[in-house]
Amino acid sequence: MLGPYEYAVWLICSLLEVAVLVCAFKKDALRRYLFLNVNTAASLVISIARYNILSHYGFTSKEYLYFYFYSDALLTITLYFALVSLYSLVFAELKAARYVRLGTVVLLSGTALFSYAVVQQSSAKLVTHFVVELSQNLYFVGLVLTYVLWAAVLKMRETRMRLIQLILSMGVYFSLFAANFAMQNLYHMRGSFFEYLTPLFGCFLPMSWAYTFWRVPEEARLAPSRLAVVPR
Amino acid sequence: MSRKLVVVFLTMLVLVGAMGLKTAVVAHSDGSLIMAQGGAPQPPIPWKQGGAPQPPIPWKQGGAPQPPIPWK
Repeated sequence: MLGPYEYAVWLICSLLEVAVLVCAFKKDALRRYLFLNVNTAASLVISIARYNILSHYGFTSKEYLYFYFYSDALLTITLYFALVSLYSLVFAELKAARYVRLGTVVLLSGTALFSYAVVQQSSAKLVTHFVVELSQNLYFVGLVLTYVLWAAVLKMRETRMRLIQLILSMGVYFSLFAANFAMQNLYHMRGSFFEYLTPLFGCFLPMSWAYTFWRVPEEARLAPSRLAVVPR
Repeated sequence: MSRKLVVVFLTMLVLVGAMGLKTAVVAHSDGSLIMAQGGAPQPPIPWKQGGAPQPPIPWKQGGAPQPPIPWK
C-alpha cells in the first residue's frame, strides 16, 4: 500500500508542475512553448483527478487502474506533441513546418498501427491493451526522436540555450526511464530500490522545465564551439 | 525522390529503430510497464507475468458471471 514517501513524491511532482506553469507565465514562455505547457497542465489536472479516484476507490481498484493507464496514454501523446513542437522550433528557419507535421502524423499513425497489430490477436480487452501498448511504444519513439533531434541540434549548431536545455531535459527524462526499465528487466530487482526510484524520475521533467523557464532567458545563446565541433 | 517521401522514409526508420529498441529492452521483461507520467503511484498491473501465478484479470468478461475480485 501507499506510504508517506509515495504521497510526498506525488505532491512534490504536482508542485513542480505548478512551478513550470507559473515560471512560463512569468517569463512569457506560455505561448512559445505551448505544447510543453499543455502537457504540464494536463499532467497537473490528471494528478488531481488520480488523487480523487485513489481516495474514493482505493489503490488496487479497477477504477484507479483504468484511469491511471488511460490518462497515462493521454499524457504520453501530449508529451509526444511537446517533443514535436521542439522539432518545429529547431527547424523553423528551414521552413520545414509542413514536413514536421507530415512526419508527426505518419509516425503517430505508424505507432498506433503497430500497437494494434501487437495486441489484436492476443487481447480480450482490446482497447485497454491497445492504449497501454500505444503508450509504451510512444515512449520508445520519443526516446529515439529526442536523440535524432539532439543530432540535428549539433549538426545545425543550434545556439538557443533555452531550446537546448529543453531538448536535453527530454533526452535525460526518456533515457532515465528506459535505463531504469532495462535494469529492472535485466536484474529483476523489483521491490525496494526501483520502486522508490521510479516515481522520482517523474519529477525530473517538471523540475528541469521550471528551472529552464526561470533561469534561462529566451535571448540566451550558447557559443557553437561549446556544443561540439562537427566537421562540415 | 520527393521530400515528402523522404520524410515518410525517415519516420519509418525512426519507428523501426524505436520498436527494435523496445524489443531489445523488454526481451527479459517480467511484464512490468515503463509508464510513470507524473508522480502518481503506478497501480498493480493485472496482466503482469512472472514466476508468481497470475491473478484473475478484472476485465475478463464472458458469458459466465464475473467472480468476486479479491482486492475490491
